[in-house]
Amino acid sequence: MSEAAQLQQFEERIACGEKIEPGDWMPEKYRQQLIRMISQHAHSEIVGMLPEGAWITRAPNLRRKMVLLAKVQDEAGHGQYLYHAAETLGISREEMIDALLEGKAKYASVFNYPTLNWADNAIIGWLVDGAAIKNQTMLARCSYGPYSRAMVRICAEESFHMKQGKEMVIQYAQGTPMQRQMVQDALNRWWWPTLMMFGLPDSESYNSPQLIRWGIKTRTNDELRQEFVNELVPELLALGLTVPDPELCFDEESGNWIYGPIDWDEFWQVVKGNGPCNEERMTARRQAHEDGRWVREAMLAYAEKQEAGLAV
Amino acid sequence: MSDSSTRDTQWPRFELFQQERPGKPHVNVGSVHAPDGEMALLNGRDVFVRRPECHNLWAVSARHILAKTAAELAAEEALPDELVPDEAAPQLYRIFQKTSQRRSMNYVTHVGDVEARTAVEALELAQERFDAANVFVWWIVPVAAILVSSEGDVESMFQPAQGKTYRQPQEYRTFTQMQEIKRTTPS
Repeated sequence: MSEAAQLQQFEERIACGEKIEPGDWMPEKYRQQLIRMISQHAHSEIVGMLPEGAWITRAPNLRRKMVLLAKVQDEAGHGQYLYHAAETLGISREEMIDALLEGKAKYASVFNYPTLNWADNAIIGWLVDGAAIKNQTMLARCSYGPYSRAMVRICAEESFHMKQGKEMVIQYAQGTPMQRQMVQDALNRWWWPTLMMFGLPDSESYNSPQLIRWGIKTRTNDELRQEFVNELVPELLALGLTVPDPELCFDEESGNWIYGPIDWDEFWQVVKGNGPCNEERMTARRQAHEDGRWVREAMLAYAEKQEAGLAV
Repeated sequence: MSDSSTRDTQWPRFELFQQERPGKPHVNVGSVHAPDGEMALLNGRDVFVRRPECHNLWAVSARHILAKTAAELAAEEALPDELVPDEAAPQLYRIFQKTSQRRSMNYVTHVGDVEARTAVEALELAQERFDAANVFVWWIVPVAAILVSSEGDVESMFQPAQGKTYRQPQEYRTFTQMQEIKRTTPS
C-alpha cells in the first residue's frame, strides 16, 4: 500500500473513533508528536512530586499527612503509566530519563514555582490538579490507545487529588483569620501559573490544528482555559476569596468570566529555565537518579545471576 | 540509544495483568520495569493496585509476548513462517484479545488458552477457536513465562488498599459543601 493510501486509511480510522494501537501504521509526525507530548507529560508527573513532597514531613495532622503521601505516590504512578505509553512508540525509558536529566526535555512549568506555605498544597490540589484534569479528560478521548488508557486511569485518581485540595481550601477559607490569609496568599501566587498551564493562546499555538485533526487533542487551549475559569471563579468568590486579577469581570452576553492578560514573558522565562525553582527541581531529580543507580545495578546483577543459575 | 543504555539501566519491561475478583478474567493494565518477575509483581502492585480491587496479578517479560493488531494481520496476509524444531514440545499459551473501542483503562483481556508448539501456531489456532470477528488486538503469551501472585499474597499485597478510603474521591464531600456555602452566601 502506498504511503498516501496508508495515511488516508489512518485518518479514516481516527475519524470513526477507532483507537490506533502499538503495531498499527501511523505517520512519523504523529509518532513524534505523541512521544514529545507523552514524555513531557510523564516528566511533569515525576517533577510534580517535588513541590508537595517537601511538605509531607510538615503536614498539620496525620490524616492530611496520609492524604498527601497518597497523592504524591499517585503522581509517581502517573509518571509510570505515561512512560509506559510513550515506550509503545519506540522510545526507551533510558532515553526519556536521560533527556530530562540533561535538560533537553521539558516538563510543566508550573512545578518551577515554590510551595511557600501549607495552604499551597490546598491550592495546588484544587487549581493545578483541576487544570490538569481539564486537559487529561480531553486526552482520555485521544486517538492513541495507550495514551488514552493512561489518561482514563489518571483522571479517576486526579479526581481525589482535586477534591482533597478543595476540601482544604473550603476549610481554611472558613477558618481563622490566619488560615484565610494563608489560603489567599497561596491563591495569589498560584492563580496565574495555573492559567498558563493550558498553554499558549490559540492564535499562537501552531501545533493545535494538526493535533486536533489526528485526534490527539480534541479541544483548544483557550476553550479549556475559559471553561476552567468559568467553573472556578464563582466558587472562589463564594468562599470570600479574591482572585488576583483586577480586570476579571463577568460577561453577560457570552456567560464567560473574562480574565486579564496573561504574562507570557514570564511563561517563557520559566520555560527557558529562569523560573524560581528550575535549578532546584533538576538538582533534586539528578540527585535521586544518582542515589538510586547502585540499587538498579545491584538488582539487575542479582537477577542476571539468578537466571544464569549462579546465585547461591 | 546504545550510548544511554551503557550509562544507565531502567531494567527490562514486564506487562502486568490484573484480576479484580476470583472468576473474573485477567486484564492487561500496563507495564512496569523490574529486574525480575518477582520485583515486577511488587512494582506492579505499587503502580496498579494502590486502590481496590485486585485478587491476583500476573507479570510477564515483554519479550515473551507475541502482539498483533488486526491491521497488522490484514496487511501481512499470512503470518511469517517459523522454523519449528522437529521435537518442539507443545506448551500452553494464554490468549488475550482487545474487542472494544470504548474508553477504557485496560487493554487486552484473557479469553482462554491453546496448546501449540510456537506462539505463531498458537495465534493461528486461537483465530480458529475463539470468536475472531471483532478483535482489534491479539496477545499470545506462553504460560511458562508468566509469574503469578499466590493466594497467600492477597492479604499482604492487595487488602491494605481496601482500608485506604481517603484515596477515593467519594470520601470528600466538597460538592455538597460548596452547594451549602453558595446557598447561604448573599450574592
